[in-house]
Amino acid sequence: MTLRTIPVSLTINGSKVGPIEVPEGLMMIDFLHEYANLTGTKLGCGQGVCHACAVILDKEDGSSTTVRSCITGVGFFADRSIRTVEGHAEEAGGAGAAKPSPVQQAFLEHYSFQCGYCTPGFVNAATVLVERLKREPIERNRVEQVVTESLNEHICRCTGYVRYYTAVRDLILATPGLTRENADAS
Amino acid sequence: MRARTRKRGWGILLAVVIVLGAGAVVLLSGLLDPHYETSDVDGPEGNDAQLLARGKYLAQAGDCMACHTAKDGPLYAGGVPIETPFGTIYGTNITPDKQHGIGEWTSADFYRALHDGLAPEHPLYPAMPYTTYRGIPREDSDALYAYLRTVPPIAVPDKPTEVPFPFNMRFLMRGWNPLFLKDELPDVSQGESQQWLRGRYLTNSLGHCTECHTPRGVFGQLKLGSTFEGGELGELNSPDITPEGLARRGWTPEHLQRFLALGLSPLGSAYGDMYEAFHFSTRHLSQEDNQAMVAYLTGDQPQPPQALPEPPQEQEEAQAGLTTGRSVYLAVCAGCHAVNGEGKPGATVALKGNSTVRNADAHNLVHVILHGLEARSFPEGDRQSMPGFADELTDEQIARLANHLRTRWGGQKGDVQPGDVGALR
Repeated sequence: MTLRTIPVSLTINGSKVGPIEVPEGLMMIDFLHEYANLTGTKLGCGQGVCHACAVILDKEDGSSTTVRSCITGVGFFADRSIRTVEGHAEEAGGAGAAKPSPVQQAFLEHYSFQCGYCTPGFVNAATVLVERLKREPIERNRVEQVVTESLNEHICRCTGYVRYYTAVRDLILATPGLTRENADAS
Repeated sequence: MRARTRKRGWGILLAVVIVLGAGAVVLLSGLLDPHYETSDVDGPEGNDAQLLARGKYLAQAGDCMACHTAKDGPLYAGGVPIETPFGTIYGTNITPDKQHGIGEWTSADFYRALHDGLAPEHPLYPAMPYTTYRGIPREDSDALYAYLRTVPPIAVPDKPTEVPFPFNMRFLMRGWNPLFLKDELPDVSQGESQQWLRGRYLTNSLGHCTECHTPRGVFGQLKLGSTFEGGELGELNSPDITPEGLARRGWTPEHLQRFLALGLSPLGSAYGDMYEAFHFSTRHLSQEDNQAMVAYLTGDQPQPPQALPEPPQEQEEAQAGLTTGRSVYLAVCAGCHAVNGEGKPGATVALKGNSTVRNADAHNLVHVILHGLEARSFPEGDRQSMPGFADELTDEQIARLANHLRTRWGGQKGDVQPGDVGALR
């Protein structure tokens, strides 16, 4: 028996990948691990519930969303552009010390995670949120609620979410341009 | 001469109109409403433990909860919205609260509501399935009445019906009833065993299956000539549950017994309103009653299930992207439903041979792909939520996906058009 294959080309973290012939039923997380050598994306439940495996899909209209890579076939991403947890930090001039993204830095400062297994998913979801607020700022008194809505589906079994949510809230409130004054403020 | 004939003709017409008008006034006024006597259960005998246990079981078999208990609301205090083409009607408070519930009703009042659709204060709309409950005998009505008097009284007023003129004139139901209220409903299966007869009562009267599974006419009446052939049920369509319709989709008596008891079978899980019917009602049926209901649905001599035809040879080339039905399936469905369509235990149902995929009417299949399904709990394990793909996939892609599923795993034609998908968005 031979596996039917499909040729896949896509952009990962800004770099073109492919075309590569892969089994047609391959899930994206396996592609990242086995073909792209990107092992930062983590397999949690394997059935789309925990969101640990979420990667960022950058759409043509400039918006982004997260997609669960454990239940989404590689064919879904053909000729599309994604970002994984490996794509957030800035390389620091070849010295080996990368500079974490603002979201990653906030998680570090708030001790948001312990085992870190769910962190790639949280980084991606929080990054999508921060980028969205750059385009569409919200009132300051809505931040807490919007953070909850954006991260609600991500499951963490160590720290109980509070430090993740606080980190993202504080980052949003401290970053100019993401929020505007409350409508009822005089 | 001619003038006199014409005059006499007018006179006869006038007399007929007056008689008909008077008859209508008498009918609609309620002067002809039936009346019943109270029974022993209005007195101390209504507290008999065995009677109350039977009443509780009958309330489950009759699925009173589905309409009379709001989500997260108190037991039998009403408030569930029932959307009808005539407006929204809310399930009423049937707790024994004297002001807001049925605490002042007698067993005779209760029987008249079940049997004739006439509450003490006004006629009921047939959203209350008295059209099927009419087959409930007085002794079972009395047991139900006695049981309902023991649930905690809840002082919650009924939500007013949102039914516009002219349908808000409830007295008109006294004209509807003689036209559409039948003592017996047609049988769709053949049988004469005691089990089949018991099943008829559970299915046609208590379980009121026909209220959802039979199409309705312009007056909201059941089209009894098409009994159990499936109807429109809000956003989803209820499937054909005639013996032929069930066999066509592969149902066996064993599958049906499992489905009614556990909500799950190899042919799929209970979803939409059927989940409520399973959760509040059919899972509580005793094993004997479960088997009796299935015996009635399939008949004393069940038809053999239709085998799933061999799928046609896969013609479609393997492609990346979301071009073919197969590539859409592999991209967004196979992760949970498995590449071979056999589902994953504890997470998702099989699509191969799934009753919804095998349904000639693709309405529900397309609706679920577009809008997804809620997570549900079942005695043998949960089924997780399914996301809708309305934002991810185009009408064309969903039509191709639906046709891929129908032809490969449903034995159906791939005749879903993009326009059919667009209509359900």
